[in-house]
Amino acid sequence: MSKVDFAWPASRHTPSGREFWAGLKKRKLLANKCQLCGEMFFPPRLCCPACLGDRLEWFELSGKGTLYSWTEVFFAGPEFKTPFLLGLVDLAEGVGRIASRIAGAEAGELKIGMPVRFTFVDAGEDFTIYCVTPDTG
Amino acid sequence: MRRMAAIIGCGAVQVGKYPDRLESELALDAVRMALLDAGIEKGQAEGIFTTPDLRGGIGLQANLLCEYLRITPKSMAEMTCGAVAAGLTVKTAVNEIMLGQIDVAVCYGAERECSIEWFKHFGSALFEPVALQPYASYGIIWAYAMSARRYMHETGAKEEHFAMAAVRNRRNARHSPVAAFKAPIAIEDVLESRNLCSPIKLLDSSASLDGAAAVVVASAEFARRVCPKPVYIMGWGQYHDNSCIIPTDRCDKSISSFVATREAAAAAFRVAGINPEDVDVAEVYAPFSPHELIIPEDIGWFEKGEMVKAIETGETEIGGKIPVNTDGGLLSRGHPWAVTPFYQTINVVRQLRGEAGENQVPDARIGLVHCEGGMMNNVFVLILGSE
Ligand SMILES: [Zn+2]
Repeated sequence: MSKVDFAWPASRHTPSGREFWAGLKKRKLLANKCQLCGEMFFPPRLCCPACLGDRLEWFELSGKGTLYSWTEVFFAGPEFKTPFLLGLVDLAEGVGRIASRIAGAEAGELKIGMPVRFTFVDAGEDFTIYCVTPDTG
Repeated sequence: MRRMAAIIGCGAVQVGKYPDRLESELALDAVRMALLDAGIEKGQAEGIFTTPDLRGGIGLQANLLCEYLRITPKSMAEMTCGAVAAGLTVKTAVNEIMLGQIDVAVCYGAERECSIEWFKHFGSALFEPVALQPYASYGIIWAYAMSARRYMHETGAKEEHFAMAAVRNRRNARHSPVAAFKAPIAIEDVLESRNLCSPIKLLDSSASLDGAAAVVVASAEFARRVCPKPVYIMGWGQYHDNSCIIPTDRCDKSISSFVATREAAAAAFRVAGINPEDVDVAEVYAPFSPHELIIPEDIGWFEKGEMVKAIETGETEIGGKIPVNTDGGLLSRGHPWAVTPFYQTINVVRQLRGEAGENQVPDARIGLVHCEGGMMNNVFVLILGSE
């Protein structure tokens, strides 16, 4: 079996996330905004977690964030190449926290609180995924 | 609620691997042992409450048990709610007793080779796997690793401190009647064990194993009639932090301290009418060693970060300020995850009856059981007390 960096998410076709995945293909990191009460939220949902309204729109996040925590994964599913780095990132807009592969850095270079930015990886046919990398700019 | 119901019987098989036995056979062993320990007839069990049969899935395993044992309960349910389910079976039994529906209930769980399969598929939830990338790694070790790293960052804890908790658990397991792992380990063994998700290594982790355990719960009046040492239910608390595993909604929830543990414990203390320092012995649901430090802080025995020092000075050892996981905890007892809270409860009952042998906490009168589902997202805290 050849090993991969990313495998298909099991439930990628759920309605609340379809637009998000489409956004990644266009190099955009998308979140929801409620048209009724203005709440901005992430991850995507079919209704607003503040007012439960279902008139939502999408907006593009800045793609910047802060490293909240991280781990080096040595033990994963059999199809994955190991080890790899995973980060937990606070989105700059404050709307959510996201777990992501970390690219372009070694474990020893990672510091909690460091700025990171999102990048995009075409990981398979019709499958684009996000990564984060230390934001030196 | 105080002292309206009591645990009057316990039964458990040793945690381990039972490749040649059915899950329901293990359950029968535990239930029979618990009835024998309680000294009651099977027909007196009017309630049957169990944790899920994760392989069968449709909730008929309790029916099977009833036919097998020829018992006809007036109240029964199979409960699923992550690993708090076992706690909820006890809660349901006590509620039914307090409502006058039943006098006696058997709460039990059995598990065989379930966890690994289940964790492989974890993640296909209501949310898109947008924020938690289950396609990045199986299972949830990485989530606990993130929590551990954050705790290190905020408190100055080192991997050695986590290892100390694993070593303490192993030392306690040596005299446990049910623990799977009894061979002594040293801090270096933990530090040099296989890396899983840094900073969590193999010996910082609980092993998914088979097990079955049961407790008999009775009204206080019934308990006093049949049981020389009833262990009373003094109170409980439950709290959900509105996250599933890692909080992804906004950026304001800590993963180095968990609000669900804090709130559930505070509610349990309030209902029981006691303070944290009144607890003599405790079981905390820590699937990984870092959470052996985090949970006692959240329950209220230590301030945030104080466990770093306390694990060095033995405050959670038998004889310390608050003895924790006196028969090995999840790490050394082994972890049939849905059944684990029964094992925790049984260990506390043994302590409060004065039957914990080499591991006995002197004069233990009040015990606490902490169990959780998710990553400390849904927490149930049970407080037990002897006469
Ligand atoms: Zn809204």
